[in-house]
Amino acid sequence: MLHKLIEKLAQGMALLGGIVLCALVLMVCVSVAGRELADASHGGWLGGVGDWLLGLGVGPILGDFELVEAGMAFTIFAFLPLTQLSGAHAKVDVFTSGMRPGLNRALGTFWSLVMAVIIVLITWRLYAGLQDKLRYGETTYLIQFPIWWAYAASLFAAIVAAVVSLYCAAMRLTGQRET
Amino acid sequence: QEVTLRLHQFLPAQSTVPAQILDVWADSVEADSDGRIKVERYPSMQLGGTPPQLIDQVIDGVADIVWTVAGYTPGRFPQLEVFELPFISPDAEATSRAYWQLAEERMMDTDFADFKPLGLWVHGPGVIHANRPITEVSDLRGLKLRAPSRTTTTLFTNLGATSVGMPVPAVPESLSRGVIESAVIPWEVMPSLKVEELVENHTEFTGNALYTLAFIFAMNKDSYAALPDDLKAVIDSNSGLEFSAFAGRTQQAADRPARSIAEARGNTIITLDADQTAAWAEAAAPTIDAWIAEADAAGIDGTGLYRDAVALIEANNTGN
Amino acid sequence: MSDLALGYLSFPVLLALIFLRAPIGLAMLLCGIGGLWLATDGTTVFMARLKSEVYSTFSNYSLSIIPMFLLMGQFATHSGMSRALFKAAEAWLGHRKGGMAMAAVGACAGFGAICGSSLATAATMSRVALPELRKYGYSGGFSTATLAAGGTLGILIPPSVILVIYAILTEQNIAKLFAAAIIPGILAALGYMITIAIYVRLYPDQAGIKERMPYGARMKAFAAVWPVLLVFGLVVGGIYNGWFTPTEGAAVGALGTGLIALFSGTLNLGVLRDSIYETATGTGMIFFIVLGAAFYNGFLALTQVPQELSAWVTAQGFSPWTVMVMILVFYLILGCLMDSLSMILLTVPIFWPVIQGLDFGMTTEELAIWFGIMVLIVVEVGLITPPVGMNLFIINSMDRETPMTATYKSVLFFVGSDVVRVVILLMFPAITLVLI
Ligand code: NA
Ligand code: NA
Repeated sequence: MLHKLIEKLAQGMALLGGIVLCALVLMVCVSVAGRELADASHGGWLGGVGDWLLGLGVGPILGDFELVEAGMAFTIFAFLPLTQLSGAHAKVDVFTSGMRPGLNRALGTFWSLVMAVIIVLITWRLYAGLQDKLRYGETTYLIQFPIWWAYAASLFAAIVAAVVSLYCAAMRLTGQRET
Repeated sequence: QEVTLRLHQFLPAQSTVPAQILDVWADSVEADSDGRIKVERYPSMQLGGTPPQLIDQVIDGVADIVWTVAGYTPGRFPQLEVFELPFISPDAEATSRAYWQLAEERMMDTDFADFKPLGLWVHGPGVIHANRPITEVSDLRGLKLRAPSRTTTTLFTNLGATSVGMPVPAVPESLSRGVIESAVIPWEVMPSLKVEELVENHTEFTGNALYTLAFIFAMNKDSYAALPDDLKAVIDSNSGLEFSAFAGRTQQAADRPARSIAEARGNTIITLDADQTAAWAEAAAPTIDAWIAEADAAGIDGTGLYRDAVALIEANNTGN
Repeated sequence: MSDLALGYLSFPVLLALIFLRAPIGLAMLLCGIGGLWLATDGTTVFMARLKSEVYSTFSNYSLSIIPMFLLMGQFATHSGMSRALFKAAEAWLGHRKGGMAMAAVGACAGFGAICGSSLATAATMSRVALPELRKYGYSGGFSTATLAAGGTLGILIPPSVILVIYAILTEQNIAKLFAAAIIPGILAALGYMITIAIYVRLYPDQAGIKERMPYGARMKAFAAVWPVLLVFGLVVGGIYNGWFTPTEGAAVGALGTGLIALFSGTLNLGVLRDSIYETATGTGMIFFIVLGAAFYNGFLALTQVPQELSAWVTAQGFSPWTVMVMILVFYLILGCLMDSLSMILLTVPIFWPVIQGLDFGMTTEELAIWFGIMVLIVVEVGLITPPVGMNLFIINSMDRETPMTATYKSVLFFVGSDVVRVVILLMFPAITLVLI
């Protein structure tokens, strides 16, 4: 029951990140198309159509690259819970593959605890970073949206990642699950 | 030695500012302290993080001293932007002096409250480097261009160019592939980005500079407070107004050898005369007015800042 | 303990953590945080860095190419495009011994030509090629090793982020460096194909083989992949013609494959959901390693270990060629622990002036380009040398059934081919310099 809930939470977060990623892909493509169309129109290759397009204000999306940066931060944080829950982190099993299963399980439990502590630490520091950005009123270059918006979105995802990693550690500690 | 200070910045060690300005400061501090201060130099963001984080690093004590571009953290130093407005700077030294003086008058308790400024300066006049000759403002129409700051991006967009946003390291590759057709930087920065090999036309202006960028060279407050008084005096005597003037002068002087690299390649250097420059300045005027109005609306006295900055620059511009 | 001793001590500690099955990114992060804690006598520095550096690593514009290309690979995989691609490759190469692995290397080379990153090349091509290779009867270790090695072509074949950084550090012409990388890149791909040919003759049971297909069937298989080739051509051509940057190219590629999948009727909501899940876990895993590397490298820089090591190497008064070989070996060893970008940023500013001062009988520009390409190759070899290699970890984690040891065994053959290539390029600088 609890597992179902945590699973839905991690998957939901990943889907949210995926939707943002797809939106960024679309935005970048529209921006590239706009930039190249405007370029061709200025070059005169499109004739009257070009003038018409320029009249419509065709061009790149202002600040596309800072939108990618802000959106991508949220996306990556949103991908962490599922990475955590599905145990997708890269590991080396060269020396431990011959060890007793009990010892391997103990190691797995230990690292899952450490991982939970680190992700909670990251989440807490991200909150401190958010307060900095809020206090200094830092914005992005071109469209000048406040950076703390992106920090706040990332913090939301990081909190979910912290909850999921604490859950994973607890499940391992109590021997109920190995995720 | 007694004290080790970590100096962190974003350029490779052999670039103009680290080699000819920051090293001079650090060497001189080490010598004046009889070796009791050691300045450990970390170029190219070696201590980690990205250039926009430098200012937080000096506030939080990750580094003791940093050198950074004010515009890397837009919104954080709204008052400094006045020195980055188009056609305001006749000479980097004069503007650097004005920048330090205006900062002492207005900003030490506001923008600079969380760290100790050691030097404040601007670079030499900005130059338009493009794949086609740019003489008239109308030549900018549709030019895919990367501008160096918020104010210049607004300026060029207003003048009809297509502003493409990207981090500085992406400039060479984007120029070589035609993603952008023009980059706007001072001469001194040009060789390190290989811009002269990627485009063949350079447009410079007579009189006031098209634009300039404001730099901050700063020290952590606790690191400074922890020094004994005689070492504090060493830091103080090497920093401030005269150091800022030296830095601005040195950086502008580095424009000349860089310009001759472009000349030696046989590139086209277009020097707009006073009349042509005036036409550009006129086209840029609405951008300045908009900045002032915006700053006033944000409650930071844009009108007063602009008036004082222009007056201080004028007073310091002895024309030599 | 001095900072320097602390830095050296961190190597065995990091290895121990990794061999005790700590996730790689976590091990690097722990060493970085712990090291910063001890080296700066307190928690101030790492606590301050955690405030903004996790966010700035995740929001890095150049790295955003990774999730976009992973998504593109997912669309291609889930909609059967990769199957069509490998059907075509099979039709042409499958009857040869090791033909499918050669096709995978060729695909990596093609992908490397549009992507600036080894990790992204390895990860994306694995999503597409790994299941297919396994289905065709290739052993787990051989498949993962082939793709890990193929992934290093991502940096070698321009455009390459690392080459741009090197060019800026040493004040060299980027276009010429790109040109100089082309022949070594092709040699690398050829070397890997020869390695495959030898490997399958030594271990015939580790690779499947198909019947020779008639030319009519081959053309038909080829015709089935034209939409993929169209997207591929658009991405490659677009980046080379300057229609977009590599990151923008990744977005165009993701949208293109997504649209093809949509119109071919294979992209429904379920497939989209699965594609996002797979992209999420792949991206999360890679970025956690990148995060760990950022902190560990920050700590190493603070201890001055890279600087001291290189100062020692150059203070021994050896001949130019000995110094060159020592530097390359040094990079190979350092490559076991650090990512290539950080290594280049840390050490090139120290090594390049040294190399510049030695007489190799060529102009400064030639020397800079040759040295740059050699360093680039050696650093990339470090990504696939056991025990620690980023490409090995990433590929191996995508194939849960294959033990790391199997990947280690097979990849040694590719490392061997790399060593042969390094020796050839070292002995004949003209091969590198002919195109500039
Ligand atoms: Na590449
Ligand atoms: Na390695």
